[in-house]
Amino acid sequence: MSILLNNRTRLLIQGLGNEGQNQIRRSLDYGTNVVAGVHPGFRGGDTFSHGTHEFPVFPTVAEAVSNSQANCSIIYVPAPGAADAILENIAAEVPLIVCITEGVPVHDMIRVRTALEGSKSRLIGPNCPGIIQPASNCRVGIHPPDVFMPGNVGVVSRSGTLVYEAVDQLTRAGIGQSTCVGVGGDPIIGEQQQAILRRFNSDPDTDAVVLIGEIGGLAEQAAAAYIKRSMNKPVVAFIAGATAPPGRRMGHAGAIIEGEAGTAEAKITALEEAGAVISRSPAEIGSTMRRVLEEAGKYQPPGSLD
Amino acid sequence: MNIHEYQAKQIFKAHGVPVPAGGPATSEREARDLLKEIGPDVVVKSQVHAGGRGKGRVVKRDRANRVYSDLIADPEKSEGQIVGRRRGGVRLASGVEEALKEFRPMMDKDSRLVSIQTGAEGVPISAVLIEQQSSIAHEYYFSIQVDGANGQPLIIASAEGGQSIEEVNRTNPRAVLRVPVDPVEGFPAFRGRSLASQLGLPSSAIRACGDMFANLYRVFIEMDASLVEVNPFVLTSEGTVLAIDGKVGVDDNAAFRHGGYEDWRDRSQENPVEIEAEEANIGSYIKLDGNIGCVVNGAGLAMATMDTLMLHGGEPANFLDIGTVNRKDRVVEALRIIVNDPDVKAIFINIFGGLARVDIVAEGVVDAVNELKITQPLVVRLNGSNVEEGRRVLHDSGIAVQTADELGDAAALVVEAAQSVRRRTRSNK
Repeated sequence: MSILLNNRTRLLIQGLGNEGQNQIRRSLDYGTNVVAGVHPGFRGGDTFSHGTHEFPVFPTVAEAVSNSQANCSIIYVPAPGAADAILENIAAEVPLIVCITEGVPVHDMIRVRTALEGSKSRLIGPNCPGIIQPASNCRVGIHPPDVFMPGNVGVVSRSGTLVYEAVDQLTRAGIGQSTCVGVGGDPIIGEQQQAILRRFNSDPDTDAVVLIGEIGGLAEQAAAAYIKRSMNKPVVAFIAGATAPPGRRMGHAGAIIEGEAGTAEAKITALEEAGAVISRSPAEIGSTMRRVLEEAGKYQPPGSLD
Repeated sequence: MNIHEYQAKQIFKAHGVPVPAGGPATSEREARDLLKEIGPDVVVKSQVHAGGRGKGRVVKRDRANRVYSDLIADPEKSEGQIVGRRRGGVRLASGVEEALKEFRPMMDKDSRLVSIQTGAEGVPISAVLIEQQSSIAHEYYFSIQVDGANGQPLIIASAEGGQSIEEVNRTNPRAVLRVPVDPVEGFPAFRGRSLASQLGLPSSAIRACGDMFANLYRVFIEMDASLVEVNPFVLTSEGTVLAIDGKVGVDDNAAFRHGGYEDWRDRSQENPVEIEAEEANIGSYIKLDGNIGCVVNGAGLAMATMDTLMLHGGEPANFLDIGTVNRKDRVVEALRIIVNDPDVKAIFINIFGGLARVDIVAEGVVDAVNELKITQPLVVRLNGSNVEEGRRVLHDSGIAVQTADELGDAAALVVEAAQSVRRRTRSNK
C-alpha cells in the first residue's frame, strides 16, 4: 500500500520534446516502469529507447492505453497544448494524470476541472514537480532523484523546489520519504493539499507528513480544517512568504495575497490551531520532523526498512 | 496584466455593455474635440494601472515622494478635494475651460499620480478619460473572477456599490451576493436577469441589466480575463443601466492566443527593471527594500529564501525566480539585473535543480563574475540535479565565492557578508 503510485504503476509519457525526453530518461534510470509514449509525429519513429529500455510511441493516448495498459500519465506538453493533453487523458480514462507544464491559461483549467467532475481520472498539477515514491522507484515528474530516500514520511507541497529543499533536509536528518507530491502552484489545480493529506492519513506506509504551503488562496485553511477533523498522524508545516510584501504577485500565479486569509500568518495560525507543528524557518523542516518523529516513537533510522 | 479603464470600456462597448459617452485624450486638441461633443458636465479621469486614484493626487514628479508620505500617514485626508494646489486623479468639471484646467496638469509630462498603491515615485499618467457625467439614482457592484478552490468563475454583486467591496463584505456581508457560474452553461441573460432582480433593480431595468451581465461574462471569456470588475455600475435617473467604471485583468498565461495582449499593454505603467527581467526570460523579478540580491529558482523556494534571510537578520533587495535554467546566459542576465541595483551589498544564489541543471547555473555564475566584474560578496548554494559537477565548476574556476550546502548556513553567510560591507562603508565615511 502507498498513495497514488506503487510497483504496479505503468507510466505513459505525453510530450516527447527535448525536456520530456531528458526527464523520461532520468525516470527510466530511476527504475520507473515506462510502458508507452504519446507524441503525434514523433521524429524518433515508433519507439523510444534509452540504454536497455525501450517503449512504443503512439500518436494518441487512446491507442497508447489500449496497447500498453498504462494506468498513469505524465504530461510534459507545452502550455498551449497542455489542457488538451489532460482532456485527452480524461477521455481515455487514465486513472492518474500528472501535468508538469507551467503557464497553463486559467480558463483552460476551468474546462479541465469541469471534465474531471464525474470522470474516472484524478489530476495532479499543473505547474508542479510531479510525484515520486522512492520505495517503488517510481518517479513521475522532474525531481532530482539523488536527494530522495525510502522511508515513512509523506511530503505535500504547492511549490516544486520546496519539495526538494524539504526532502534534502529530511534525508540529511536520516528521514526517508514514503511519497512526495507537488500539487502545483496555479490557482486551479487537480487534487489540493487536503486531498493528499487524506490519502496519507490512510496510508500504512506513511507515519507523518510534511505540508508546505505558501501565501495566497485558502488551500492551507482547508488542509488545516482536515487536520483538525480527521488527521491521526503528525504534520509538520512550513508556509513560504511570511516576509513577502502584501499585494505583489510572487511568481506563482496562486501566490497573491488576497485579504487577510491569504497571509502566511493566517495560514500558520489555522495550522497551529489544528495541531500541526510549525517550522517557522524553511531551513528547519528536517530537524523539526526528526524531533516530531522521535517524540511519536516513529523514527526509523535509514536502512531499517529493509 | 491590467489594462486601462478606457480600454476596458472600449471592450465593454464592443460587447454591448453600456458605458458613458466619452473617450481618452492625450492632447489638448483631442480633449477639446471630446468636450465639444459630450460636454458641458464631464468627469476627467487620469488613466493609470494603480488603484486608489480617486483618493490619490496629481503632482509634479519631484514632489511625489513627499505627497506619498502624507498619503500613507493619512489616506482618508481630504478625499477628492483640492489640497493646496494638489488635485485628485478623478475630477468633475463643467464646461470646456474648467475641464481643460483639470486635464492639463494630468497630461503634463512632469506629472505623476500618487496614491497609496503607487509607491513613493508615483506613476506616469498615460491618458485622460473624459466622459459625460451621469445622473445617478443608485450605485451597484459587479465582478467576475476565477474561484480557484472550486475551479469555476465566480460572480460577486452588491447593491452597495461605489465603495470598496472588501469593506462592504466586512461590515455587511449579507449585502454581498456570490453566484458560482457553471462553466458549461456560462452566464446567459436569464441568469443575469435573475441576479438583477435579486439586487433589487426596478423591473423596467431588469432586461437591460441582465443583458449587461451576460455581456460582461462574454468579455471575461473572450479576453481570457482573470478579473472583470464594474464598481460601480449605476441605475440612472432615466432608468437605464450604465457601467461608469471598468477594470479588466487578463491572464498572462493566455497571452499566446491574444497576440501577447500587445493592443492593451502599456509598458509605461510597468517597472523598467521588471520589463528587463521579462525580456531576459527570467521567471519573475520584484524589487524590494533590502540589500541582499537574490537569485533563486522556483517561486516557493524564492519566497522561502527571503524568509530565511529575514530570520537571520538580513533583508532581501529583491524577489527573483529565475525559472528553469538550462542556459548559462540566463544566469548572467539575472545577475546583471542584481548588480545594477545600487542597493545590493551582497548576493545570494540559491538553486535547487530539478528540471534545471546546477552545473549550467555554476557556469553561468562564473561567466557573470568575469563579465560583469562583480565586486559584491557572493554566496552560492547549489543542490539537486548535477550538483557535483556544479560544485566542481565553481571550485575549479577560482572565482571569489563562498559556498554552503545547506540553506540556513548559506543564509547566515550572506547576511554576515552584507552586514560587514555596511560596517565597512560606514567606517569609511
